[in-house]
Amino acid sequence: MSLFDKFEKTAALYNQLSEMGKNPFTVVMEEVLGPTRAMIKGRETVLAGTHNYLGQTFEPKAIAAAKEALDNEGTGTTGSRFANGTFAGHKRLERDIADFLGMKHCVVFSTGYVANLGAIAGLIDPSEDAVLVDADCHACIYDACSLSGAETIRFRHNDPDSLDKRLSRLDPKFKGKLVCIEGMYSMYGDTAPVKEFVEVAHRHGAMLLVDEAHSFGVYGKTGKGVAEAEGVMDKIDFYTGTFSKALAAIGGFVASNHPQAEYLRFSSRPYKFTASPSPATIASAGAALKNIKETPAIREALWANAERLHAALTQFGLRLASGPAPVISVLLPTKEEAFAAWNFLLDQGVYVNMAIPPGTPGKDSLLRLAVSSAHTGDDIDQLVAAYGAMAEAFQAARVTA
Amino acid sequence: MTAQQPGVQADDDLVYRRICTLLEPLNQKGVKLHRDIDLVADLEVDSVSVLDIVMDIEDYYDISIPVNTISETKTIGQLVDAIHAIKGQQS
Repeated sequence: MSLFDKFEKTAALYNQLSEMGKNPFTVVMEEVLGPTRAMIKGRETVLAGTHNYLGQTFEPKAIAAAKEALDNEGTGTTGSRFANGTFAGHKRLERDIADFLGMKHCVVFSTGYVANLGAIAGLIDPSEDAVLVDADCHACIYDACSLSGAETIRFRHNDPDSLDKRLSRLDPKFKGKLVCIEGMYSMYGDTAPVKEFVEVAHRHGAMLLVDEAHSFGVYGKTGKGVAEAEGVMDKIDFYTGTFSKALAAIGGFVASNHPQAEYLRFSSRPYKFTASPSPATIASAGAALKNIKETPAIREALWANAERLHAALTQFGLRLASGPAPVISVLLPTKEEAFAAWNFLLDQGVYVNMAIPPGTPGKDSLLRLAVSSAHTGDDIDQLVAAYGAMAEAFQAARVTA
Repeated sequence: MTAQQPGVQADDDLVYRRICTLLEPLNQKGVKLHRDIDLVADLEVDSVSVLDIVMDIEDYYDISIPVNTISETKTIGQLVDAIHAIKGQQS
């Protein structure tokens, strides 16, 4: 039984929350009604806790493409990208992503998590390279560092000076240096000063990897991400992304202008030793990409919804983590208050995410609202009403608390 | 230097004292600190908070402490020793 002993404390909390009907980590969407609605606990609920930023989950062109791929290519590839699971569709999607981003190379992986594992662990040799990681980077980037086995140095969140200091004092024995940041950070919805990071990294001879999982399709004039908004798309060394948010499928990718990025196809174990995305997944991701590229109105609708919700929540006096963004987080001082507020919203027919330390950047817990372009006027009204009632009921969620 | 804090066992090591000062706000249960205290098991400090404390130490001493090193330390004493080893190498 000793293997299980270490989980007892967490299990007790988990079970207690489940019994109280207050467990945000066991929510089941019993029936999906559309891009922004599902049945939860037998009740029709507005989904504002999924990352369907561009509302592509029910895009008819993406569904048609997936059905066609199912009919023509079958349910799965039954093989890895490296050995026996690369179809014409995988190659076509790689070209389409590279074209969209204006980059020369793209390698498709099985999930966004796997793409970061594959890029970082595939690039790094622990005997001669070091990785420098923003303090608030996603768990997959830290897991990638562990997998690489390389010396990993953490710098202060969104602080190019902190990176500068750490690069300056890095042992000269390190030949290769990789700096990892994100475009938009998913907990607070804040964005990185990518341009400044490019300057610092390159000045020290380091390469820069930007994970745009939450910002791909969302930020920048044409939706290329925060690096586009910062005007440095051509300067970043590696761009990683996912299909599971703006593209509403599952899969991930690494894009680069360095021709040697193609080496990842043999240097990256997460590329070689897991099955490739299914044909239907690849087809729907490709169709969604084409759709969001050709229809800027989708991105405009997302931002209009984000601004409307942010303004309403600000007016309620709620303590928000950042300015208007596709992620709008309300901060609460304790996890008990966050649990209660999360349940309050669910009882109002609104589903958001709850996050508690150490999964959050600071000491606060938070309720994370993820905006979608597909949120209708009715959805937004319901969200605003629910948050208004929450602001009344929970002093702790308010700036003036 | 910093005055002896209540609950901190006498120890002249400045690195040790600095870590204890940084840990104090996180020491919710008022555990008496000494070198053998396990950060996670005894103080219930989460892994990210440990990394944040280390960041303060890094900037104070102008050294870099790899995440790999921190994940290998469990007790206050081990963390102090790891910082001494790195200070010796980098300064």
